[in-house]
Amino acid sequence: MKKSVKKIIPMQNGGQTEVEVVKGSSGKVALNVVYYVCGAVLSLFFLFPLLYMLAYSTKSDSAIAASAGTFAMFLPDFKNLGAAFNNYKTVFIDYKIGEYALNSLRYAIISIVLNVIINGLAGYVLAKFRIPGSKFFTFIILFLIVVPVETSIIPLFMVVKRMLGFKGVANILGIILPATISVFNVFLFMQFFQSIPKDYLEAARMDGASNLKIFFKIILPLSKPIVATVSVFCFIGVWNDYLWPTMLLVDNKDLLPIQAALTTIRGEKDLSEGAKMASLVITSIPIFIVYIAAQKYIVKGFGTAGLKV
Amino acid sequence: MEIIALLIFCLFLAVFLGVVAHDLYKAKKTNTPFRVKNCIAGILMIAPAVILCFLFILLPMLFSLGYAFTDYNQMRPDEVHFVGFNNFKEIFKEIGSGGDMLYAIKNTAIFVVGVVPLQILLALGLALFCSRKVRGSSIFKVCFFAPVVISLTVTSYLWLTILDPSEDGLFNMLLGAFGIPQQQFLKDPKTAMLWVVLISAWQGCGYQMLIFISGLTNIREDLYEAAKLDGANAWQRFIRITVPGLKSSVLYITITVFIGACRIMVQPMLMIGPYSEGLTLSYYMFLQGTDYGLVGKSSAIALLMTIFIGLVTFVQKKVLSKK
Amino acid sequence: MISVKKVFKIIGVAACAALVISGLPGWISLSKQNEEQGGNTVVSVMFHVSSSSKEGQAYKKCVDAFNEAYKDKKIKATASYTPRTDGSSAYETALISMKLENKLPDIITFDSPKCSYYAANGYLYNINNMVADIKDEFYESSLNYYNGDIYGLPIQESSAGFYYNKTLFRNAGISDKEISEYGDETPWTYAEFSSVCERLKSVCEKAAVNMNFGGTADETTPYLLYPFIYASGGEFASEDGRTVTGYLDSEDTVSAFYFFKSLLSNGYTTDQVDANDFYNGKVGMYLSSGWTIADLRNKNYSAFPSGSNWGLLPYPCDVPGCAASATGSWSFGITQNHHSDKSAARELLKWLVNDESSATITEHTGMISAKKSVNEGRYEKGSPEEMLFTQLANTGRARPTMVGYSVFSTTFNQIVHELPRTDNLEKFISEKTAILQETINKY
Repeated sequence: MKKSVKKIIPMQNGGQTEVEVVKGSSGKVALNVVYYVCGAVLSLFFLFPLLYMLAYSTKSDSAIAASAGTFAMFLPDFKNLGAAFNNYKTVFIDYKIGEYALNSLRYAIISIVLNVIINGLAGYVLAKFRIPGSKFFTFIILFLIVVPVETSIIPLFMVVKRMLGFKGVANILGIILPATISVFNVFLFMQFFQSIPKDYLEAARMDGASNLKIFFKIILPLSKPIVATVSVFCFIGVWNDYLWPTMLLVDNKDLLPIQAALTTIRGEKDLSEGAKMASLVITSIPIFIVYIAAQKYIVKGFGTAGLKV
Repeated sequence: MEIIALLIFCLFLAVFLGVVAHDLYKAKKTNTPFRVKNCIAGILMIAPAVILCFLFILLPMLFSLGYAFTDYNQMRPDEVHFVGFNNFKEIFKEIGSGGDMLYAIKNTAIFVVGVVPLQILLALGLALFCSRKVRGSSIFKVCFFAPVVISLTVTSYLWLTILDPSEDGLFNMLLGAFGIPQQQFLKDPKTAMLWVVLISAWQGCGYQMLIFISGLTNIREDLYEAAKLDGANAWQRFIRITVPGLKSSVLYITITVFIGACRIMVQPMLMIGPYSEGLTLSYYMFLQGTDYGLVGKSSAIALLMTIFIGLVTFVQKKVLSKK
Repeated sequence: MISVKKVFKIIGVAACAALVISGLPGWISLSKQNEEQGGNTVVSVMFHVSSSSKEGQAYKKCVDAFNEAYKDKKIKATASYTPRTDGSSAYETALISMKLENKLPDIITFDSPKCSYYAANGYLYNINNMVADIKDEFYESSLNYYNGDIYGLPIQESSAGFYYNKTLFRNAGISDKEISEYGDETPWTYAEFSSVCERLKSVCEKAAVNMNFGGTADETTPYLLYPFIYASGGEFASEDGRTVTGYLDSEDTVSAFYFFKSLLSNGYTTDQVDANDFYNGKVGMYLSSGWTIADLRNKNYSAFPSGSNWGLLPYPCDVPGCAASATGSWSFGITQNHHSDKSAARELLKWLVNDESSATITEHTGMISAKKSVNEGRYEKGSPEEMLFTQLANTGRARPTMVGYSVFSTTFNQIVHELPRTDNLEKFISEKTAILQETINKY
């Protein structure tokens, strides 16, 4: 049954790279060499901040001061590997960045699951249901996407605290819930789901499947690219969030996310520059990995959503 | 505050019911009635998103826009007075007399005009580069994307070091090797914003590159084959097939890059400072709202910006989707 | 048949679930917070550093000692640590959110120039009468006043001075005897300062002195440079901090900025030197605050092998009797919160600023104590710390107290930034003063 679906839906056509066999004329080989050389130079041009971060995170303060402003600042200090070890040790042992990273991961997992379900359902309804008043929602979504509003965080806090009055364990809800709604994600889901043929869903409905069952068993499995895209956005949002959790968890420092630890470390004046850079390396790496892992899907997700703003 | 929130809620409910009534009326007229069971299921499924959106996005947004008409001081959220259009009057007076607000507008304009075309062209170039079907091109994709995930603070400090205006600054040494005289870069009021444009485009283009790549993969391969058979050269193929095929990506990217560019703040803040050559609208808003605590004025700027961006986006959409 | 992919999937989901579930105990314990603790009066305090930093550990020790000492009196102190960040916005946001919920801690720490801002907005409590008996134990310049009343007591003191590279001074032909004259009771003059720069200029690779003219636009530049304005006989604002017109644009104040400009035009300094240039021996003198002492001693920079070969000079002065030096660090203050009875808070405040606590904090941070008695006899004669605390006692002068201090700070930065770019400083300063005045009127 599943196989037939894949045939119907023309979405997984991009992405697979047909590797051209480098044989034949020497002109083609030369062209490829030029291509790789250009690519390497360009890559270096885009990668050097990463090299700089990695290099600084392995150095002691005097080595950093000595190498600042010269090309040595992009090279790690191999003579003094103890400094590198010390930097990372400080960040992990004294500042427990690992524990904060776990906190962030927990919030991210819950947010991603809720994000996909809540926004996905909304996108499903807007794409496939005929209900009165749906235009109103579509308009609000488009409005919120196109018109960015510089929102102050304080009104959000007043809404959460004064009106909803989260206390104690519910504070965690206060951290997670604002991250679970994103009009842009609703929009992406809506666009993607519109490309799923309606008669296929009707067929499932004829078999007696409920709406939720159709959503979870048919729609979501068909929408891996968009689910991956949304998950990545959500993960990055939660991972980079800082001020909001700090406000909610004023007196529960142990539950703060990783960015809070990062800001603490950066503001510490008796800490070495290398250790500060090490903490930045640690916070950047997960985002980098997530992007690399999901980039194929992101490309597809954007491609099929069509981006008809 | 609860009362205002309730009022806003009632307003939205009224508009919603109006739309519902309109839809029902139309359905009756065209004789395509709604299926009640379906409607109930749909409303139940969309409800969580609507409630969360109202509470966590719309309500705070409306509140913070409403502050534009008050004297709200950050440290006194419980004592807010209505002051009418005073904040707006003050802003326009400042523009008229050539104060910081004028510089902020000028610098933001320079940035937007510079960065939007540059970033889009860079992204397109990189996307075309990566789309060549050769082993290893996806590794380049990852490399080009790297700056996007690195924090703005890190890249800003890094570029500050590289663009050290003294003789032994890295970039000056490089230029010196080619016989170009010493440059002031970010310290020169004339070129400071241009460097911010270059750096922002460099850091941001990897993201738009991904979108362009997805646009490119959606262009059907047989179109190129057919054009090749017709004897079209590479440039003709690019203009006739690639560019029209990327239309929706270009529209989307132009709008998002434009919106992002209007909100530029961190880079000039870290690399230039609150000076006549470095102030941008968002930076000025941050100074007024977060640093000085004068949320009223900062919200007024935000409201003006929102209206401006909304209008421009609307025009962009109309113009670009026509082509 | 179960495929490998499926196994991975199951393991992944299980790992995620396990991760989330492992967090639950911590989340549930959230609700058990803020309960009365065994009939004790609970008094809370919030610090601006993390508990893992050296300073945080010192505070921890002081609070623990307090709890030990007040066990019988049934007072218990609880501490929380919200590190301030670059823009100190997280700390401030935390304060605002706690005020909204009406659960401000009884004692908070704050950066001293912000005293008026917090006091005027109802965050700080007037402790004038409470501390009348102990206020003489502090340096007068470091007490935090608002409208003539005390709202805060200093935790530690900071001061700044000119660090100098001994090798470069020797190369420039500046004798130890000459240097020692600059450091004595009568501060050195602008003329002497310029003459030192003139001789240094030829032996320094980049500049004679780093005045922080090109610094990032934060509080560093105003903090390090404001004493020059006092030393030129100038002023920033009226007593109550409400008027800047006629003060910031006065002739004497402007003359101080012209002195800065002369340093630039004579080639003694540029706005392009940074701290590393001093650490690498390319700059002869470096204006910086007290914590550079520890950096120079411990970090083994290339110009200062094994932490030696440097000295510290005080601020110069132009108008006799107006000598001034930088002071002001973070302070303790009692808040206006739901506890109307401030007696427990008073006990804790007095404990945190007593001699033992002050000594503990100073030992951990290496900064100068705010208490006269703690500093006396603590430092060797001729040591940089001794120079700083003598300077502090003799010429220390606080930054202007004004409600709109952040606006002032930005304005100061804007003026310094303009130094190499304009010849008509009067005009620029008077324009900026007018805008500053207008903004201050809004508070």
